[in-house]
Amino acid sequence: MTPRGREFRKLAGAARGLRLGKLTGVLGAFVIIFGASCFISENFLTSYNLAIMARDLAFIGIVAIAQGLLLLLGDIDISIGAIAGLCAVVCAKLLVDYHMNPVLAMGVGVAAGALLGCINGLLITGFNLNSLVLTIGTQTAFTGLNLLVTRGRTIVGLPENVTFLGAGSLVGVPIPVFFMIGVFIIALFVTTKTVFGRKLYAVGNSREAAKIVGIKENNVRITAYAIAGTFSGLAGILMAFRLISAQTAIGQTWVLPSIAAPVIGGIATTGGIGTISGALIGGAIMGVIGNIIVLGGVDVYWQQVFNGVIVVLAITIDSLTRRIGKKA
Amino acid sequence: MIVLQAKGISKRFPGVVALDHVDLTVNSGEVHCVVGENGAGKSTLVKILTGLYRADEGSVSIRGTQLHHGDPGFRAVAYVPQELNLFGNMSVAENLFLPFDQQGVRSPIFSRRKCEEQARAYLDKLRMTASPRDVVNEIPVAEQQLLQVARALANDKFQVLILDEPTASLTKPEVDRLFTVVDLLRREGKAIVFITHKLEEVFRLNDVVTVLRNGLLAGHSAVEQISVDWIIKRMTGKEVDLDQVYRPTRTPGRSLLEVRGLSGTRFEDVSFSLREGEIVGFAGLVGAGRTEIMQTIFGYLPERRGEVRFLGEPWKFRDPSYAIRKGLLYLSEERKAQGIFAHLSVQQNVCALLLRKVSHAGVLDGAKERALTRSVIEGYNVRARSADQEIEFLSGGNQQKVLIGRTMEAAPRVLFLDEPTRGIDVKAKDEIYSLMKKIAEEQRVGIVLISSELEELLKCANRVITIYHGRIYGELGENQLTLERVLSLVIGIGEQQASPPQA
Repeated sequence: MTPRGREFRKLAGAARGLRLGKLTGVLGAFVIIFGASCFISENFLTSYNLAIMARDLAFIGIVAIAQGLLLLLGDIDISIGAIAGLCAVVCAKLLVDYHMNPVLAMGVGVAAGALLGCINGLLITGFNLNSLVLTIGTQTAFTGLNLLVTRGRTIVGLPENVTFLGAGSLVGVPIPVFFMIGVFIIALFVTTKTVFGRKLYAVGNSREAAKIVGIKENNVRITAYAIAGTFSGLAGILMAFRLISAQTAIGQTWVLPSIAAPVIGGIATTGGIGTISGALIGGAIMGVIGNIIVLGGVDVYWQQVFNGVIVVLAITIDSLTRRIGKKA
Repeated sequence: MIVLQAKGISKRFPGVVALDHVDLTVNSGEVHCVVGENGAGKSTLVKILTGLYRADEGSVSIRGTQLHHGDPGFRAVAYVPQELNLFGNMSVAENLFLPFDQQGVRSPIFSRRKCEEQARAYLDKLRMTASPRDVVNEIPVAEQQLLQVARALANDKFQVLILDEPTASLTKPEVDRLFTVVDLLRREGKAIVFITHKLEEVFRLNDVVTVLRNGLLAGHSAVEQISVDWIIKRMTGKEVDLDQVYRPTRTPGRSLLEVRGLSGTRFEDVSFSLREGEIVGFAGLVGAGRTEIMQTIFGYLPERRGEVRFLGEPWKFRDPSYAIRKGLLYLSEERKAQGIFAHLSVQQNVCALLLRKVSHAGVLDGAKERALTRSVIEGYNVRARSADQEIEFLSGGNQQKVLIGRTMEAAPRVLFLDEPTRGIDVKAKDEIYSLMKKIAEEQRVGIVLISSELEELLKCANRVITIYHGRIYGELGENQLTLERVLSLVIGIGEQQASPPQA
């Protein structure tokens, strides 16, 4: 082998190592950013600030996990925020206007999320539609339904025995964080330890190859949309509890972070690559940066610029390491 | 008068000599046919003539001027690729002139009217029915094929026209139309290179033929001085080394599969049978319909007519998951797109087919997964760093062994292997042949082997069925198997036999 070939092999080996340790890479980036933030502002590492960050992350984290499941399939759901908003309204209306049992009302709200996700999945697989375009359509329709039901007005008067689920804390930790951890554990278990999870990765890697090994890809995709809808519905409902009211604006700003977080965390939008843990850490990185920009006294309008740059960096690094690794 | 001259062209790729000192001379007013088996070097030669590849040795010249790599002079070689390669959502006229640098349409502002006017002459010349305004996706495939020829002619610098298997997807009247055009161009004094698999076309064009075999120039002659046998002898050349035969030797057992009058996408009225422990080879040109037949039985493509019996029971054409449950498995020729899950580990690839076997109530059992993967890696001699290595970093041969291994773990009765050794090195090929023999002899699996390498079929199959244009063309038993016979049936000129119904 020529010396140049040997050099190349070494480089390729390093690139592969970087990829195998991909999750550690993302985690490392998070630790560095978190550590740096501690030095930038003395207000960063206070229990008050950490609680604020954790509560924000809880909502973004849940929808990022939901979106991550779909991205693993090579699918995407733009209506994820609209589903959250509509579920919040459904749940709030049942509680306020019909005085329904809180557990039941939450159940119905979350089930509505599953149903809406299911509708997305059925339309996409049944008519072989592009998920991006279809969910832009349903996003508009779901938001419209939301406005139709509420007439654009905020639903107030949620009972206190539910609002603590969104606004309260337990041993200093905001309660939505516990929900997020629950969702994370479920998603992690499903993707790594179940037959369904393995099918999810298989379909994401190659729909044709999946079909040839006997996987019914449409069922897998519809189920994933339903799960994503369920999770987003839960996030929306918790947000309503936190705001002590259901506003039509709930979820409207969630779509882009829900995609950016998994991408930063190493999930490829083409499907089949990445982990749910990555999606959550990606969300955490975005959360910390957003927070430290405010604390550091930087113009808040820089936040979006930074988030954008991180996404661009994340996918560029991934593409480069992958290309070098492949040539060996 | 010599238009195109290629002298002493050699091209090596890692591990193979694709072309070894090949000469080709094409005169004006000549249709020069180039024939050869798959892998004989035809495509490599075309890529060198069109300037896509740089030859390791030798020279290409047009009308006496030698062309160097990247020379704009290569524009004088107009090329019509075998596959359709058009902009489907653009108009016929736009396709004809893109990138709009020819005389007449060249202007800083695009004029649709001018472009369409100019297009008319080319379409009329080829007697096309499409109008310049038509969107390419909406005109028939044959018209699209002709449009590719028209596009080559619209290149105003062209001196040589290369047609790469232009009739592969045309029906009889469309072929006639194409030949009329070729005749017309010949009379106009154009130089034409016509690459084909079909020897009847060589005799119909009746001009000059060059035969390639394993990258060597195997023959060159005026067509009127030679016979079909002359060409076939030169295409096949050597005898197969029969010391290394991987044909199952045990007598076949009971019938596994009975196919009667099956029709579907790109094939008609196909009947054959398969018994326990035998390997039945399917030979044919690329696109003859062999893959479609097997994918239809497997439930991947829809069937139109016909009946299949599996172990005596009527077969339902449902979906691959039904076929797999019944014990009929298919391994695709498209290893990257339809075989492996590129970014998943070896273990995940193995278990993807056997999820039921390695799980309990929908939850995976890690120990079972590892045990299964170990048995595939060890049993099929897979060289991987570990079970967790991503499969895309394995060599083609090792990927294929993983796929065969996992398929065998599913305990198949019938196995369809579609080009199982494509893109695999010689040593791994022998391993896969031994594996097939072992599977057939020990597990009594009935194997359908689709292959475009005749040598592979001769070495491994108990009998060979040939498919030509979507129909069964002939069948050869073990003692009838010779390269010449199989090749004749593959290119549709041999003595045609109805496939005898098997008991």
